[in-house]
Amino acid sequence: MAAALAVLASLPAFAAPPALDSAAPDFALKGIDGRNLRLSEFRGEPVILHFWASWCGPCRESATSLDRFGAATVTPVVGVNLDGTVGRAAAVAQSLQLQSPTLVDSQQVVARAYDVARLPLTLLIDADGTIRAAWSGIAPNLAELDPHLQRLRQD
Amino acid sequence: MQPITILSRRRSTRLAALFAACALCAVPVPILHAETGDSAGLKTVDQDVQALKKQLIDLNRDLFKLEEELLYPASTQVAVFLSVDVGTFFALDSVTLKVDDKEVANYLYTEREVQALHRGGVQKLYLGNLKAGEHEITAFFTGKGPHERDYRRGTTLKVEKAVGAKYVELRISDREASLQPEFVVRQWE
Repeated sequence: MAAALAVLASLPAFAAPPALDSAAPDFALKGIDGRNLRLSEFRGEPVILHFWASWCGPCRESATSLDRFGAATVTPVVGVNLDGTVGRAAAVAQSLQLQSPTLVDSQQVVARAYDVARLPLTLLIDADGTIRAAWSGIAPNLAELDPHLQRLRQD
Repeated sequence: MQPITILSRRRSTRLAALFAACALCAVPVPILHAETGDSAGLKTVDQDVQALKKQLIDLNRDLFKLEEELLYPASTQVAVFLSVDVGTFFALDSVTLKVDDKEVANYLYTEREVQALHRGGVQKLYLGNLKAGEHEITAFFTGKGPHERDYRRGTTLKVEKAVGAKYVELRISDREASLQPEFVVRQWE
């Protein structure tokens, strides 16, 4: 609970997620497996960026469904966990059986760069690093996400 | 440091895109060729597009150089580079750079970036301005040392900034005798 309050307190009160068709801010974070990952290394293919925390119910649901969706559609899904500690994030990711990389934004630096005001935040980023679709505060509807992804792959 | 560089590139790209748009408006010839539909015309269109692309890249590069010269004049410019020589005894994870005790760069390295450094790549870690006089540059390296142990090492260099650009290289190499990594800071004039 304390961690949840700390995360909420650190987020801007009236911020909106980055606008559609704007460049997704690049970042590098450490994953729960100890490996560092940089968003720009996914350039050349669409990627789903998902901000989540364990204390947020819809986040856990969407993390699981996006993980499966990514595996089924061979789309990279990058989870950014805002729990604050690697141990906590790793335990939750393991309990949810997530296969996609889970990065830990312990200082909420990336959350600030993306103006994460509501969780979960899911962004669909195209091959050029531009944000093409966003779902803030709700789990993305996979039936809605799929055509977006198909369109990006055709472009 | 880097954010400034990124912003500069974006601005340059925008300017370049604007110039390109103007250039496209000013070149009606390819459109005429396309309308005729013959293969020779299409070839010319392709050549024109390629030439335009080259001009755009050149223009973007020139604008980037110009912007860098304006933001970081040679009289105050300080650049810090990082390179890795062998690196058997140290797997780089991150570098934090401080200038006069103020953090100016903090970089987390991915596997690909480390591989690029091992292949001889040199990273521009920081580009900034410093007034003439004595300054202290400190770098903290974190990673895995010998026997996969967490390793953190700091190294400091006092530099005398005169009129003219100052270039500093942080070099990670292996000290074979002690089977330990070595962190060298050296100045280029």
